[in-house]
Amino acid sequence: MNIHDKYKPLTFWEKLYLPAIISGLWLTSMHFFRNLTLHILRALRLRKTADGAVTIQYPEFLRPLFPRLRTMHRLTKRDDGTPRCVACMMCETVCPAKCIYIIADEKLENPEIEKMPESFDIDLGLCIFCGYCVEACPVDAIRMDTGILEISNLTRKGMVLDMETMLNLEPMQDRYVKYTKEGEIVSQEYLKQDLSK
Amino acid sequence: MVEGIGIVLLKLAFVLLFVLNFGGLLTWVERKQSALMQDRIGANRASIFGIRLIGLFHTIADAVKMFTKESFRPVAAEKFLFTIGPGISVFFALVGFAVIPFGDVLIIGGKEINLQLAPLNIGVLYLFAVAGMAVYGVVLGAWASKNNFALLGGLRASAQMISYEVALGVTIIGSLMIYQTVELQEIVRWQGGTLWGWLPKWGVLMQPVGFILFLTVGIAQSKRVPFDAPEGESEIIGYFLEYSGMGFGMYMLTDFVETVMISAITVTLFLGGWQVPYLMADGFHFPWGATWQLENWAVALLQVGSFTLKVMFFLWLQMTIRWTLPRFRYDQIMRLGWKYILPISLVNILITGLIITLLK
Amino acid sequence: MPKITIDSTEIEVEKGTTVIQAAEQIGIDIPRYCYHPGLSIVGVCRICLVEIERMPKLQVACYTPVADGMVVHTNNEKVQQARRAVLEFLLINHPLDCPVCDQAGECWLQNFYMQHGLYDSKMVEDKVKKQKALPIGPNVMLDSERCILCTRCVRFCDEITETHELGIFNRGDHTELLPYPGQELDNKYSGNTIDICPVGALTDKDFRFRTRVWYLTETPSVCPGCSTGCNINVHHNDHRPYKAGGIRVSRLKPRYNPDVNQWWMCDEGRYGFTQVDADSRIVAPQKKTRGDWQLLSWQDAIDEIATKIKGILKKHGADAFGVILSPQMTNEGLFAAKRFFQETLEVENIDFEVVAREKGYADDFLMKADKNPNSEGAKKIGLSAVDNSGLEVAQMLADAKDNRLKALYICHHNLEKGFKKEEVKEALSKVDLVIFQGTNQNSTSNLANYCLPSASFVEKDGTFTNFAGRVQEIHKAVEPLGESKPDWTIFRNLSKRLGKSMPYFEAGDVFNALAEEVDAFKGLSYEKIGEHGVLLNGHRASTEKEMGALVA
Repeated sequence: MNIHDKYKPLTFWEKLYLPAIISGLWLTSMHFFRNLTLHILRALRLRKTADGAVTIQYPEFLRPLFPRLRTMHRLTKRDDGTPRCVACMMCETVCPAKCIYIIADEKLENPEIEKMPESFDIDLGLCIFCGYCVEACPVDAIRMDTGILEISNLTRKGMVLDMETMLNLEPMQDRYVKYTKEGEIVSQEYLKQDLSK
Repeated sequence: MVEGIGIVLLKLAFVLLFVLNFGGLLTWVERKQSALMQDRIGANRASIFGIRLIGLFHTIADAVKMFTKESFRPVAAEKFLFTIGPGISVFFALVGFAVIPFGDVLIIGGKEINLQLAPLNIGVLYLFAVAGMAVYGVVLGAWASKNNFALLGGLRASAQMISYEVALGVTIIGSLMIYQTVELQEIVRWQGGTLWGWLPKWGVLMQPVGFILFLTVGIAQSKRVPFDAPEGESEIIGYFLEYSGMGFGMYMLTDFVETVMISAITVTLFLGGWQVPYLMADGFHFPWGATWQLENWAVALLQVGSFTLKVMFFLWLQMTIRWTLPRFRYDQIMRLGWKYILPISLVNILITGLIITLLK
Repeated sequence: MPKITIDSTEIEVEKGTTVIQAAEQIGIDIPRYCYHPGLSIVGVCRICLVEIERMPKLQVACYTPVADGMVVHTNNEKVQQARRAVLEFLLINHPLDCPVCDQAGECWLQNFYMQHGLYDSKMVEDKVKKQKALPIGPNVMLDSERCILCTRCVRFCDEITETHELGIFNRGDHTELLPYPGQELDNKYSGNTIDICPVGALTDKDFRFRTRVWYLTETPSVCPGCSTGCNINVHHNDHRPYKAGGIRVSRLKPRYNPDVNQWWMCDEGRYGFTQVDADSRIVAPQKKTRGDWQLLSWQDAIDEIATKIKGILKKHGADAFGVILSPQMTNEGLFAAKRFFQETLEVENIDFEVVAREKGYADDFLMKADKNPNSEGAKKIGLSAVDNSGLEVAQMLADAKDNRLKALYICHHNLEKGFKKEEVKEALSKVDLVIFQGTNQNSTSNLANYCLPSASFVEKDGTFTNFAGRVQEIHKAVEPLGESKPDWTIFRNLSKRLGKSMPYFEAGDVFNALAEEVDAFKGLSYEKIGEHGVLLNGHRASTEKEMGALVA
């Protein structure tokens, strides 16, 4: 479309508005009647496929998540089970919501590591899930691939994730499976991808 | 005497139930119809013992919520006006129904009952007077909130409703010239005749331009999409910004009652009101000469049913319009009202007068 | 005087100036690691290479003296390339542990790499492993891998402290900075090696991993540790209060002042700020009732104290009232105290000097035996007992013991530092009203009836006068802890309550009033002090006298 079309004066037909309004009403009412018919047919058990809505009834049925979707944070571990995090505070610095709180600890017994988080808290009540912390991490210590979206709590304090919790979270791959409305798995294509990459 | 009061009370109960039930159900209709139009399912989670009844319980849930929520009043608000604002709004939306005829005459025990709450001989004027008052509920509530956004919404509402009130009167003058009366029952009866022996003499056929203009202006009067600049929820939230609980609920109810009101007036003025084609007081008289005798009560039932169906059609139409068209910009609303609808209505009057004169 | 052209700017400089210094004079910053204005020049890091016309090769700017007609290019393609090469060379064995390195954010290797380098490493060989996290002294942690061998620290120990603890050992890429065998970097100025280390090889044990340097805000101030009054920057953590257990002041760093401390400060002062965030801070006015401390509002405290003071003055006269001010207070605090006690209360027993029983450490460089930052100021304002023909502190205590002193107002002092514990206890227990005003609790405050919280040196504006009569400003870095207030505010409020108001609203007002009233300060004003301070009347500006003779 030419940008100048924007300023093209309307023709008489267009100025009437009514034809355009009626065509719009036609479109929406066709959807209305089609969906109404389908719903009724479905309710009468006359038809099984082709629903009158694209809605996925959420708590009962899950929709597949895209592998790159950012969900609740977790901390990765070294082979010996200690956190990979070196408490460099890059994530804390880059966090636009200032919801990461790290207190560093000195590990003199292993000069190769030297620095480790003593505590690593994320206040999910403030977090905006921008994923900058994951981008900023130089040692791949924080990821947002747990697939956990249902984050709620009765207290503000309960919204704070501590290091222990985050270390014990696993990447949850089954949230990437596609289900039918009846809850049967129809596609595992996301599962085949290596999510760690 | 006692009998007369009893009949009036019964009619009153009927009209109120009719209007309020439609108003309440419209919240459900609005949700479900918009969902169907948009390939969604719509609200369906409220349930009683697991029975969801396609979301109908949401209406009840809403009512419970509205009644139990805290009715908060800002410290700076004008206490009295803030409190009565929603009441005024609802009141003027409801009283209009007094003159709407929903049937012809029902004869019980030899007593003729006019199926109209108040047989007022200035029916149309009364309607406009009431519609003109509706703006006060909005403006008072908005101003009394002492909130600039609410005030802005109130100003928009007053400007819009006063502008369109002018057009509202002018658009139906053409029809009134044809009907030669302002009494609504008379107007409906006038539409009972046929043209050339077979075509019902409904106002929509006599005054097609007037009909379209009136419907547009009517929707604008009810402040709903696409004429919801006073509410403008994405920019100023609207004149009821400071209301919560039942105060807000009443403003919302007003919107829906006005929707029913517009439907009822449109039906009365342009779609023959309670008229059923070819149905006379004693039964059907089809244009090809056949007749079908009916008792008076059956005729009355058919008439009330016809009126209800017509109103429901217009409710559906208004909902479809509301969920199809985007909001007009404020200047577009003003331009449409003053520069298009008003002049076209005036021309419509002229042409109507011309034709009437020529036909005489 | 030779005339040279640097990046097409012509400048005339003193003979003997090096190119890097000449460039600095016209605001051109040449990268450097080993060059430090306070140390001898060695020219080992090679990052300051510049092109000088008619010279065959690039020259090190730090070591090349200017010559007449020299044309220097500090930033052309050739120089940039050389810098990139030097950076690549330095990074061959430099570990990439910036995430755990405390220097990150103020690391010159990082900074110059971001300005000039920005290449990908071509090295495939393993980096040479050296010792990491090696404590080489009470305050300093060494990470040999990170060292770029600029030898600044070695020269500091050789030339400034002359203690010769550090040396460079081995050859090639095994070259390593270490203390000499059997030695520790434990001189009184060892913290300076951390400051001058351009990379993270030497880090501060005290500051290590506490926070990150980019969270810190700098506020210029003066060290309150002794009467030298070294200029410092207070690094405080304003925005991340959860770090390091809520410590607000993270570290002190020396600030350049050619007339006082040049680039240096002693470890005693550097690590002497812990009382600022200590648990012993007095955070609200309090009163002792039957042995228990009870918190008061300022309003109540001032009302009660004023009433009691009035009562004692009325009953026993001004002779029964003793005031022990403190050279820890700013000039402003002292002057407001002077006006309050001399003019409002008409008390004569005012003194400030409590001579410490244990003599403080002193040397001929920066450290002075007098551990108070404002003794000279107190003397000049006229607060010693001689000036007021009142009692000295020792006499006050003696009088108290004989029941002749009924009220004692003590500021900041821990009297046990100057007198025996039992003596103090006995004396104070016989005084009816003991008011202690200070930042932290001490054994003296525990003997008082009232404690008033005053703001510490990082929480207020004001001035100190150092031993040489130099008036220097301190600035408010953090908000006063709890309810504490600057000393002068407390005296102003008390004075107002007792019927004489002082029109002071900020520290500058007090200082300007002081400058009008006290001869030594005549002609000064708060606005004139500036970042390096000004000398009092009658004091000669002399770097040598102030600094001692040690500066190289």
